[in-house]
Amino acid sequence: MDLLSVDRLKKAYQSRGREPFWAVKGISFTLGPGECFGLLGPNGAGKSTSMNCITGFYQASEGAVRLMGFDVYAEPRQARQYLGVCQQEDTLDSDFNAFDQMVRYASFFEIPEAEARTRTQTLLNRFGLSDKAREMVEELSGGMRRRLQVARALVSQPRILVLDEPTAGLDPEARRQLWDIITEYRAQGNSILLSTHYMEEAERLCDRVAIMHQGLILDVAPASELIAKYIGTQSVEEEIRPGLLWKRLPNLEDVFLKLTGSHLQEDSEE
Amino acid sequence: MTSAKAIRLVWWRYFDVFRKNVGYSVVTTFVEPLLYLASFGFGVGALVPALQLDGISVTYRQFVLAGIVAQTVLFQAFFEAAYGGFVRMYYQRIFQAIAVTPITLSEVLWGELLWNTCKSGFAAAVVVLIGCTIGDFHWRGALFILPVIILGALVFASMGLLVAARSRSIDNISFPQFLLVFPMFLFCGVFFPLEQLPSTIQSLVWVLPLTPLVSLIRSLMLGLPLFWPAWLILILWAAVLVPIARRAMRARLVK
Repeated sequence: MDLLSVDRLKKAYQSRGREPFWAVKGISFTLGPGECFGLLGPNGAGKSTSMNCITGFYQASEGAVRLMGFDVYAEPRQARQYLGVCQQEDTLDSDFNAFDQMVRYASFFEIPEAEARTRTQTLLNRFGLSDKAREMVEELSGGMRRRLQVARALVSQPRILVLDEPTAGLDPEARRQLWDIITEYRAQGNSILLSTHYMEEAERLCDRVAIMHQGLILDVAPASELIAKYIGTQSVEEEIRPGLLWKRLPNLEDVFLKLTGSHLQEDSEE
Repeated sequence: MTSAKAIRLVWWRYFDVFRKNVGYSVVTTFVEPLLYLASFGFGVGALVPALQLDGISVTYRQFVLAGIVAQTVLFQAFFEAAYGGFVRMYYQRIFQAIAVTPITLSEVLWGELLWNTCKSGFAAAVVVLIGCTIGDFHWRGALFILPVIILGALVFASMGLLVAARSRSIDNISFPQFLLVFPMFLFCGVFFPLEQLPSTIQSLVWVLPLTPLVSLIRSLMLGLPLFWPAWLILILWAAVLVPIARRAMRARLVK
């Protein structure tokens, strides 16, 4: 059974006196057990809107989302019982220290406090945050805050972990630390839905990648298959300085360029 | 999980914050009404002769203390909901974080409203208790005051939540604060009888929600005849503001 199925999902933003803006124009995909599925695209591609619709925070304009067989809009409580969400924005509760906010978050899933405390301690250890357990959020570095947010999403032991741009804005070291954590979690047989505009992140973490552009999924396949399909397996030449060509292996950036005519990073900076 | 339990879990999150910061919470919740009581009740009260209200003689301290109960309800509920709500919605993103758990956004917003209502109620109850202890209020009235305080707090918490939802920045909250909350505080009968105002202004201030709240609290606490339409005005305000505030905050959060 698919843990998550997204069927012809569309989302329009309405504003008074204007035509609706279709941020997501009909996307479909499924997430299987133990799979890491990535939505890859620049900012504005519709990834975060899709994520918000999938978690049920936004109401989709059309289409259906089912989590563990539950309709996320009709049965949000049952559906989200299986979901752990790390939103793109920092949503850590700055009124609590690292430990207490995980315990408090667990209460929203009706996890008994003693059990929540045990799980919190285990997660803080695994995420290298045990020595920061009593510190308030504002005392933590950006990388630590992000790790804590992912740890908090795992306190309910979700069947599906949703990570919306989990490493955006992090320095390379913090990004690598988080990749290791996600890889470890994935290796334990858990399912992950991830959105990113970093092609290296998608290539490294995802079993299948959906190339997303202007609210549409252009293609879905394992990264290696996408590269082979659109670019081939031969090295590509890249001009890294005027007159200086460099040969390298093809990557998802080349696929994105081929499919859309634009770069992932250029668009993300808009 | 039932909706009632979900709302209770959200409420409990607020109470936990209140409890963890108990020193700060006590100062910001209870000190202000006590300062007003000391200044106007004991200070100004000593200078002003007794007033005749509906044929009953009351001291100015009794008169203003009943007003301070209502003012406490207004300030505690409005400011917690407007400034606190804006911070929780815009800076802390607490609503967004909880609304992707099994708790729905609707329940999060009920939890927010009920917490602000309760916090305001706690503070007002302390003033009532002081009034009873120093002999200015009737103990019997105190038994019936709670529904009035809760209803008033719900109205002003909804008003604050609406302001938080509609404010582009935290500075924008100053507009309703100075143009609505402070005028209500000054002219809705907290400090002087409404009969001192021109008759047209009297009619106007009766439309505002603080006036019926002051009237009901004063009647119950000082043993004066109840002005029953005051109930109706407050209930109407609650019936209008609660759904509007919730809808506005939902529209702000969910595009």
